[in-house]
Amino acid sequence: MPRFRHFLSILPSLVACGGEQRAAVAPLAYYESYDPRSLDPALSTDVPTGEMVTLAYDGLTRFDVNGRLEPALADRWTADPRGLRYVFHLRPGVRFSDGTPVTPASVRSSFLRVLDPRSTGGRAWPLLPINGARDYAAGTATDVAGIELLGDSAVALTLEQPLAVFPKFLAMPVASVVALRPGNEVETIGTGPWRLSGWAHDDALHFARNPGYWDGPAQAESLVVRIIPDQLVRAAELEAGRLDVVEVPFGETAAWRARHPQWLQEKPALRDVYIALNNRRGPLRDVRVRQAINYAVNVPEILSAVYGGRGIRARGAIPPSLAGSDTTRAGYEYDPARARQLLAAAGFAGGVSLELWRAADNETLGRVAQAVQADLDQVGIRVTLVARDASSQRAAARAGNADMAILDWWADYPDGDDFLFPLFSSTSFGAGGNYSFYADPVTDSLLAAARRTQNDAARESLYRTIDERVYRAAPWLYLWFPVDLWAESPRITGWDLPVIFNGQRWTGVRRAPLHPPS
Amino acid sequence: MTRDLVRRLLLVVPTLCGVLVAAFLLLDVAPGDPVQAMVGERADSATIVRLRADLHLDDPIPVRFGRYVAGLLHGDLGRSYITGRPIARDLAERFPKTAQLALAAMSFAATVGITLGVIAAIRPGGWADRLALLAAYVGVSFPVYWVGLLLVLLFAVTLRWLPPSGSGGLAYLVLPAATLGMRSVAVLARMTRGAMREALASDFIRTARAKGASERVVVLRHALRNALIPVITVLALDTGNYLTGSLLTESIFAWPGLGRYVLTAIEKRDLPAVQGAILFMSVVFVLVNLFADLLYAKADPRIAHD
Repeated sequence: MPRFRHFLSILPSLVACGGEQRAAVAPLAYYESYDPRSLDPALSTDVPTGEMVTLAYDGLTRFDVNGRLEPALADRWTADPRGLRYVFHLRPGVRFSDGTPVTPASVRSSFLRVLDPRSTGGRAWPLLPINGARDYAAGTATDVAGIELLGDSAVALTLEQPLAVFPKFLAMPVASVVALRPGNEVETIGTGPWRLSGWAHDDALHFARNPGYWDGPAQAESLVVRIIPDQLVRAAELEAGRLDVVEVPFGETAAWRARHPQWLQEKPALRDVYIALNNRRGPLRDVRVRQAINYAVNVPEILSAVYGGRGIRARGAIPPSLAGSDTTRAGYEYDPARARQLLAAAGFAGGVSLELWRAADNETLGRVAQAVQADLDQVGIRVTLVARDASSQRAAARAGNADMAILDWWADYPDGDDFLFPLFSSTSFGAGGNYSFYADPVTDSLLAAARRTQNDAARESLYRTIDERVYRAAPWLYLWFPVDLWAESPRITGWDLPVIFNGQRWTGVRRAPLHPPS
Repeated sequence: MTRDLVRRLLLVVPTLCGVLVAAFLLLDVAPGDPVQAMVGERADSATIVRLRADLHLDDPIPVRFGRYVAGLLHGDLGRSYITGRPIARDLAERFPKTAQLALAAMSFAATVGITLGVIAAIRPGGWADRLALLAAYVGVSFPVYWVGLLLVLLFAVTLRWLPPSGSGGLAYLVLPAATLGMRSVAVLARMTRGAMREALASDFIRTARAKGASERVVVLRHALRNALIPVITVLALDTGNYLTGSLLTESIFAWPGLGRYVLTAIEKRDLPAVQGAILFMSVVFVLVNLFADLLYAKADPRIAHD
């Protein structure tokens, strides 16, 4: 049917007709899985929003692709010996996209916007350590005493108590420095490498490069961020040459390794996959039951069979690339007999019944949950799987209504503190991140000590001690640290897989020179 | 006719009120918390308490319902909890996209489905009949998600004739419209075939043939016109369905329509956005059905309205 074929062959040209005049070079093409909340840093609570804010704004500090802390709008900073007062010196000559200069007053007004009690952002925590910030956010103070302007080139931030990792908090998108468009109380502008030039909601965000970017303008002229919910379709878009990078879908791991090995980039992610065991519910109150669960599950097998081998076995909560991590720690090796002994010693020789909550829309973790259920059944732990949408699962786990919940934890800032304090401090129960309701006064005091410790080596040693101590108490079923696997299109060069969501600004990425037709 | 229309339009009001109350109650008992989605991970409890108070989430349900209805009476659907954008504007942005996809899908389904049905009816047992039967099986039994992905792999990745997803020119419509319309093709082909067979066997067709009308006139003017009446009903119902957004098709093809809007809103527990979208969809659905009834009467004068 040659005629039919001819008709279809003109279809691609219809695509071109529908678009605008073709630019000399196609824009770089990235994606998000859903429409970001806003491009206002004060509303940056999730990864898509945080990534987009990172393109258009800068904070005083930032992370590079490998998660190292770098100077940004502050070209240097100093801390007093106690780690209580930080002075940030502003990089000279930086301007917002409307041409107004960045001043210490811009830093102050940006932080006050985020802390404003009328803000609906809800994610002010990186700024709350500043002295007086809590009162301002609660509406009981009219200013934040801890923010001090030092002339026209520096800003001093005094904290309510010493916090060694505070400069990392300031690299969070919510701590970006913004200006408001004159006469517009809503729309914010920034100093970042890209400027938003158009946004069709649920379809695409269009960015044009900031030609005056202080760190050197981006190599490419424009960047489009398409909103594509389905991971298999995103992979198809890369193969069709219409996206430049994608995360390789889990089910496709082997196929892509075979088909496009030269496109792949692989890095251990700053992320935990784990099952929170509610330390305050029923049999799980007994440490022996929690340890039994860790012995009863064949983690390496599940990791390779269900998770495509894309992870590193966890023997603690701190991922391998961070200081304080220890993946060689003597751990819970697969030992069902030991698990049965521990259960019997805890008085549950007849077995126990528990519920494991999973997010119904996460198929991969759903399969992991099924495998865990099968292993636990072998030692007499009868598990009922409860599948709910992600929001309901989180709500139940946060309220302490789930025996067990399979979860993942993404780094906000690359530091051991982010994998210990929110997850195991008794001050962060539920919504704060401690889904296992693990509470231990010694751990709490060690966590507080680590936060005060300015010396990196000493802090690292504390992190290791805390991680080890918590591991022995088994508040989780420890699973693995995922290894990210992404594909980069041969049409671009200069892209590096970021270990943290706000570590990639797309400034060094450009279209690869086309091979001359031979 | 006019009196009938007015009466039917008035009847729409209690229907919508019912939808409004039911949706409000259902969203209230649904698990999950909009504030949790607003604050993300690592939230402090003081912020959660403050935001709940700001959004009046702890007020009794009649108070919240009253406030919502008062807003509606002023033509205000409110603002999204998550994005802070006016919901009416969000819906106005997405509806044209959904309408475009719905009309493309229905045109595709009507053209292919009715044609297949007519040819199948003229020569029962012939190749077209078998093809129509196959299309009906495939269309009804294969999941949309699977067919959508298969079309993407074939036409976008392997053959590279069409873009895999997104919205833009006409080419972007082809795959999602075919995927969305697939089920309707199946139903329409079978319905048209059945109705045509019945019509072709009736007395007035014999009369038409007896007075020497050409086969073309017999089939298209006499038989098809009569056979179309039930077909129009199906077409209208499906159009109403498609106009309220198609969750799966829009998600697969990254089509920025109502279906994805409401899905995201549900995932985030963005209550005013879900509520606004449900109300808007109900209005569209009710109006399309009303329009279908009127069209039905037009196609078949035997259906009397008062």
